[in-house]
Amino acid sequence: METLDGTEWDVVIVGTDLPQSLLALSLSRSGKRVLHIDRNEYYGGNEAALSLSEAEAWAARYAGHSNASENATFSNARIETLEATGDVKLLQSRAYSLALAPQIIYTQSKLLPALVSSRTHGQLEFQAVGSWFVLQPGGDAASAPSLIRVPSGREDIFQDQSFDLRAKRSLMKFLRFVGNYEEQPDIWQGEAERPFPDFLQQKFALPQPLHAALLSLTLALTPPAETSTADALPRIARHLRSIGLFGPGFGAVIPKWGGLAEIAQVACRAGAVGGAVYVLNKGIDHIDNTGNDTFRLKLSGGEQVETHWLVGSAENLLAKALTPPHAGPGLTKSISIIAARLPKLFPVTAEGGVTPAGAVIAVPASTADEPPVYIMAHSADAGECPSTQCVIYASVALPFDEGQARLSAAVAALLASGDGEMVSAPLWTIQYYQHDLGETAKALNPHCLVLPPLSLDNALADHVLENVKQAWRQITGEEDASFLRFEVREGMED
Amino acid sequence: MASHGVPRVSGTATTDKSAAARGEEQKQIAEYKALEKNVIDRIKAKDFSNHTFQATSRLLQQNPEYHTIWNYRRILLQDVFRRELASGNSAVITTQADEAQNGDAQAAFKAGLTLAQQEISLLLSEDLAFLIPLLKQYPKCYWIWNHRAWLLAEATELLPARTASQMWRGELALGSKMLVLDSRNFHAWSYRRSTVEQIEQLEKKSLAEDEFAYTTKMVNTNLSNFSAWHNRGQLLPRLSQERQATDEERKTMFDAELELITRALYTDPYDQSLWFYHQYLMSTLVAASSNDANDDARRTNILAAPISHATTTAYLEQEIASIEDMLDGAEDCKYIYQALLEYSQRLHQLAKGSSDIVEASKMASWLDEVRKLDLLREGRWLDLAVSLKP
Repeated sequence: METLDGTEWDVVIVGTDLPQSLLALSLSRSGKRVLHIDRNEYYGGNEAALSLSEAEAWAARYAGHSNASENATFSNARIETLEATGDVKLLQSRAYSLALAPQIIYTQSKLLPALVSSRTHGQLEFQAVGSWFVLQPGGDAASAPSLIRVPSGREDIFQDQSFDLRAKRSLMKFLRFVGNYEEQPDIWQGEAERPFPDFLQQKFALPQPLHAALLSLTLALTPPAETSTADALPRIARHLRSIGLFGPGFGAVIPKWGGLAEIAQVACRAGAVGGAVYVLNKGIDHIDNTGNDTFRLKLSGGEQVETHWLVGSAENLLAKALTPPHAGPGLTKSISIIAARLPKLFPVTAEGGVTPAGAVIAVPASTADEPPVYIMAHSADAGECPSTQCVIYASVALPFDEGQARLSAAVAALLASGDGEMVSAPLWTIQYYQHDLGETAKALNPHCLVLPPLSLDNALADHVLENVKQAWRQITGEEDASFLRFEVREGMED
Repeated sequence: MASHGVPRVSGTATTDKSAAARGEEQKQIAEYKALEKNVIDRIKAKDFSNHTFQATSRLLQQNPEYHTIWNYRRILLQDVFRRELASGNSAVITTQADEAQNGDAQAAFKAGLTLAQQEISLLLSEDLAFLIPLLKQYPKCYWIWNHRAWLLAEATELLPARTASQMWRGELALGSKMLVLDSRNFHAWSYRRSTVEQIEQLEKKSLAEDEFAYTTKMVNTNLSNFSAWHNRGQLLPRLSQERQATDEERKTMFDAELELITRALYTDPYDQSLWFYHQYLMSTLVAASSNDANDDARRTNILAAPISHATTTAYLEQEIASIEDMLDGAEDCKYIYQALLEYSQRLHQLAKGSSDIVEASKMASWLDEVRKLDLLREGRWLDLAVSLKP
């Protein structure tokens, strides 16, 4: 087509973030005329994977201290680069694919079977997230912090020499309880609102040193004193029930080549194969609701298009069409490139098992009233950096000024904990703040669908798929059973 | 374990009852029956050609459970082997001129085999490879494993030890892969033991240390592995023999195993496989009375024979105390009470008259608890209660 001006569409999707991309995938066999645009010059939106130069441009764009004017998801971005010494240096920009969304995907997540049934999993490579650790400060100021592996099941507990027999027994009892906690409400429902560490102490006689380990399995962003039992139990259950589903020794995976961005790209590709038109560097300047469930849109190049359905996120659909979103507390985040392989973080976790490419490290604060830092470590096998390096993603639920200090300290402590491998500082670090634009934005027009952004959780939540399904159902009117269920295309292998 | 208790369904079974599906099915049945008739007729006519061999391959790929056809296949292979060996290709190639003859000869020379042996080795390897995709589809078909064992036995019989041992080593690796997929498959463990035995015979050395380390790895991956613990128990006495362990060293080994299993039991006293291993360890404490019995005991014991009453009594008392401790926090675990009752009874039998026995009131209370927890065996516990009464 020569120009978009004057074209008519069934659906216009704005932004190639993961929710919108999954919607495009779900519509790819529907025969609907879909136009999918993104204001950026890359796919993935808030879940994009960036090369070094893309990251620099991105940081310049989001460097401001507040997001109020742009209604943007990110702010406060800044980059720190270490002076190159000898061989230890950054490689060329394209050698890196840094993920804005390094969330892990639990094996029991509904997204994975949906990728299989929609015939897209063959284009994706998933790798195991193997070990969970807690980083504890050294005994005194002089000694290095220590990395303690968190037991994820009976065999881990059995082999761990640091617990005495009594502690092993109590921990096993707790894990057995969590296995089917829904059927034992008498044990925990009375304590549902109490802080989780108190529950552990009182109901299971688990001593304080074990609390950090169990809290790390929850991936809860709140401080321990504010993490309720009702919050913690389903999260730990999710963790334990996922282990072993795809193979021994791990319970979560990460997509190779740049986190969730890869899934967004594959979904868009499927959309394109299904006939959707993709245009990058294109946003919406003006939305006109003609009232007969048709929208007239003015795109950023001046083109006028018409569509029956308009789908996007709160951020990229203009404020005029929506009630203002409710901004919840956000996350201070960082991405660091490390000039070392850090093999101690990625051991094979079971006899005959896979070599993981991801690891989770929880760094508790010094008091129970402050939130923990979570570090997601990705080895070079994740395809995000050269083979001699690795990428460390860190996040903490604090405002930027406090948060960035905590993150720097946590990453430095992690690097100091490795005995033998002396790595003093990251080669390159970007720090930024991610706002939680929340889910409460509602469109004023029933044909304008708002897909909520991903939650700030470190693990992908299932509601992403639920939201996409709702939008798909409204657009196509089809039965739930056919959502993301496709036959293999002719001439293509599954 | 996901693969246990799942009924086997034929790969080609269909529940589609439409006329088209039925027609398709009839066609498949007719083709299959024709193939079957072809193979059987040829065998009856003693047609042991390659054509027949290929036909058995096609038939077995469709139905690997048809054991008669496996027998025919073996008859065919045996015939080929016999003809190879009789053909006069038994001289080992030594001269340059001979080598230059053909690629096969070169390969044979390199492997230190006669031309006949080279041929046989290739045929065996090809047949082993033929079985692999079948195994992937039907991992629990006895006849496939049977055929593998036969092929490897032929290798042992017809080929030099070094070549045969290589093939058996490959088999061990295959077994390990199968155990990664299903670590509790006792058939796989049994097959592993016979494979190890063959390698030990061919290479004239013991693999006990390696296998012992393997059981450690397997229980570390999954504590609840009856077969791994069983294998470990089988290896322990051999290990003490082979290490030529002194009495001190034997005691250290035994104590280490007790410590290991106690640690496992504290972690999970609800796992029956762990109790079986504990019982096994305690069962090796057989007090022997005559010299002949000493020698037998040496073969099955870990601790140095003779094992005195005092030693056995000491261990029983130690374990009873340790298991009693385990009750704390696991009062609803029937295995603990069962173990306490069993070892207490054993202690009584040994003590007979002396004063270091377990108080009757304690035993009665354990019996009460286990009766509440193990309602299925009410009769057994009633019998025990009666026999315990003074």
